[in-house]
Amino acid sequence: MAILEVHNIEKHFGPTRVLEDISFALEKGQALAIIGSSGSGKTTLLRCLNFLETPDKGRIVVGGETLFDAEGPNSRKEQDIRRKRLHFGLVFQSFNLFPQYTALQNVTLASQLLAKERPDFKQNKKQIFAQIEEEGRELLERMGLANRAGHYPSQLSGGQQQRVAIARALALKPDILCFDEPTSALDPELTGEVLKVIRGLADQHTTMIIVTHEMAFARDVADQVMFMDRGLIVEQGPARQVIENPREERTRQFLARYH
Amino acid sequence: MFWTTPEFPVVVKALNEGFLVTLQLFFVTIIGAVPLGLIISFGSMSRWAPLRRPVRWALARKGRKPGRVAKALSAFRPISLICRLVVWAIRGTPLILQIIALFYVPGMLDLFTWGGGESSRFAAVAVAFIINYACYFSEIYRGGIQSVPVGQQEAGQVLGMTRTQIFFKVTLLQMIKRIVPPMSNEIITLVKDTSLARAISLKEVIWVAESFMKGNQGISGLLWPLFFVAVYYLVFSGVVTLLLGRLEKKLAYFQ
Amino acid sequence: MKLKKWLALALALATAATLTACSNTTGGDTGTPGSAAPSGSQAAAESDTQYVKDKGTLVVGITYFEPMDYKAEGSDEWIGFDADMAKAFAASLGVKVEFSEITWDYKVEELESKAIDVVWNGMTLTDEVTSSMATSNPYCTNYQVLVYPAEKAADFENLTSLEGLSVAVESGSAGEDAAEALGASTVPVQSQANTLMEVSAGTSDAAVIDVLMAAAMIGEGTSYADLAYSVNLNEAQGLDAEEYGVGFRKGSDLVDAFNEFWDAAEADGTALETATTYGLEDAVILD
Repeated sequence: MAILEVHNIEKHFGPTRVLEDISFALEKGQALAIIGSSGSGKTTLLRCLNFLETPDKGRIVVGGETLFDAEGPNSRKEQDIRRKRLHFGLVFQSFNLFPQYTALQNVTLASQLLAKERPDFKQNKKQIFAQIEEEGRELLERMGLANRAGHYPSQLSGGQQQRVAIARALALKPDILCFDEPTSALDPELTGEVLKVIRGLADQHTTMIIVTHEMAFARDVADQVMFMDRGLIVEQGPARQVIENPREERTRQFLARYH
Repeated sequence: MFWTTPEFPVVVKALNEGFLVTLQLFFVTIIGAVPLGLIISFGSMSRWAPLRRPVRWALARKGRKPGRVAKALSAFRPISLICRLVVWAIRGTPLILQIIALFYVPGMLDLFTWGGGESSRFAAVAVAFIINYACYFSEIYRGGIQSVPVGQQEAGQVLGMTRTQIFFKVTLLQMIKRIVPPMSNEIITLVKDTSLARAISLKEVIWVAESFMKGNQGISGLLWPLFFVAVYYLVFSGVVTLLLGRLEKKLAYFQ
Repeated sequence: MKLKKWLALALALATAATLTACSNTTGGDTGTPGSAAPSGSQAAAESDTQYVKDKGTLVVGITYFEPMDYKAEGSDEWIGFDADMAKAFAASLGVKVEFSEITWDYKVEELESKAIDVVWNGMTLTDEVTSSMATSNPYCTNYQVLVYPAEKAADFENLTSLEGLSVAVESGSAGEDAAEALGASTVPVQSQANTLMEVSAGTSDAAVIDVLMAAAMIGEGTSYADLAYSVNLNEAQGLDAEEYGVGFRKGSDLVDAFNEFWDAAEADGTALETATTYGLEDAVILD
């Protein structure tokens, strides 16, 4: 069974239609790459999944549970939206690390805040926080940043900052991890280290949706590739086939610009 | 010179007492206006538009597209409007006028009286100062909050934080860092503005200094106390500048 | 979030209410609330005397004015002819006395807003004063004098016109009226004492103040040994001497209480005795 099902999502900004009839499914442990020119709606789709935007039409189902249905009763309560959000993680193009916290604090902050809602928080505060910190350090280590835990974002390179951001998103153990052009804001020589980390996650079968302009990377790392244009899904299929042998003319034209 | 005259110790003692009143007014204003300004800035940024849903509902029922009136009604944000009007009125009128109005008008309308003693005058002046400075602070806060990138808030949201958590754990410190320099300006101005309190005869340090021109404890016709007071202000604003500069340095650890 | 909204709303409404209140008064009914018995609150419906007795303090509005209301050097106690009599009056009402230094320009507002209960500060009974306050019977005579640098005494001693002179006066005082009537270009300042600073500093040619104050503050052994005064400006204008009175809120029954108190103080000799202490035995009015 698919872990994520998206049914007929539609989104308008005023009179402009940004997403039209978007439907797809994602299997657990698979990586989906979304490609397309800027303005094609890729980022808006990710933002809809993370409840940063509300779709006008359609349904979002995660693990069999309907998280969003434009037709149905949708709670606007902060508590409910928060709970739904936790199914997803999001890595931003511009990192959006919290500048006043160290790398480690960036990773552990949300977990610490969530832990306060646990019924046993008061009795076991020390152990809980110790465990969160332990997990945070492990995550940074996996990102190759073990010796950067105490650094502030401004003391880190762009690639290092983005890796901290990935660790931060992973800390909450989301079902689906989303990347919004994770290397677009980086200098070319720094993209490699970030892509390597994402590749590692794919090898461990992390369920991921990656919006990217790195075609070779999409081909090698993703299981599925989806090409979007003007708010529509033009083509979707196995990664190698879509990138190397696109069926649609529009996909072909788009890819031609990257070769 | 004036410091060898027999009046000198008497005058200095009186000036010290006056300066204590000045300091009290300064600190009470800071303690009151800093949080009140935050509330006002939230108010003026409030997006609460009570008419938006009814308008949308009415339009949907009639199946019509929103016209100019409907758009205006939907955009009506009463809390924001009121807060901005108040800030405009307070910032657009002299503080001295607000002090005089606040002290005399309630009694004249038989709403309540402050009373005539020193502590009543202080209370009235303090309220006027707190409201006035809260309005100035609120605009600085608003600029500070709005200058924190939206991405910070979104990062917090995506990590499942509540709005309150995002404000206190993410936005607040970044905002403080941005507002410290403009707040320092305002606070130094406040040090000097306290002298406006003498409009309703609060015996702050300038009032006391002037009293030695008019007559006080058998001493009159002295001009030097007025200029001597400058030393008090210089020392105090120097200390305040130093402390705020330190705070600025303390927050320099992040960008 | 809800709470924040409500707080913001409450605050906004409160401020709006204050502002509306202000605009009401600027609308121009400063006189009415003073008529001692506005409808509404119960305390206000009772007499002003009762109001003062209930709160237990008589707040006396003053400015520093030797020999009426002043402090001896190094002392913190208000003394003077007015101050001493005010203490006695408060005692007769069975309440404490509290002296509050006010800005003279706002004396009517101070009364009407109930910040003070009485203006008792060598106040000349001008038309302006009697029309905006309830005033007592006159208790002291006074006239305006011209103050000038002692070394220029010859130029000033017998003047009957002040034309061409810049003359410092207390803003809103009887002295201001007199100086204007005699053709001076006036320099209104905050207090009578400030006018002396002006002359002493040479920023004004002369000043017009109450003779009682001039007697106390000018000449040998005072702060203004370099100044002198003469010329009874009331005589120069062909006017009667002025009279001092005590001012209350409009319509206040404290006036009656005061007049009774004064009659008694005259009868038992304390009024004359106190006046003599401050060198006012010739000025005090005794029937």
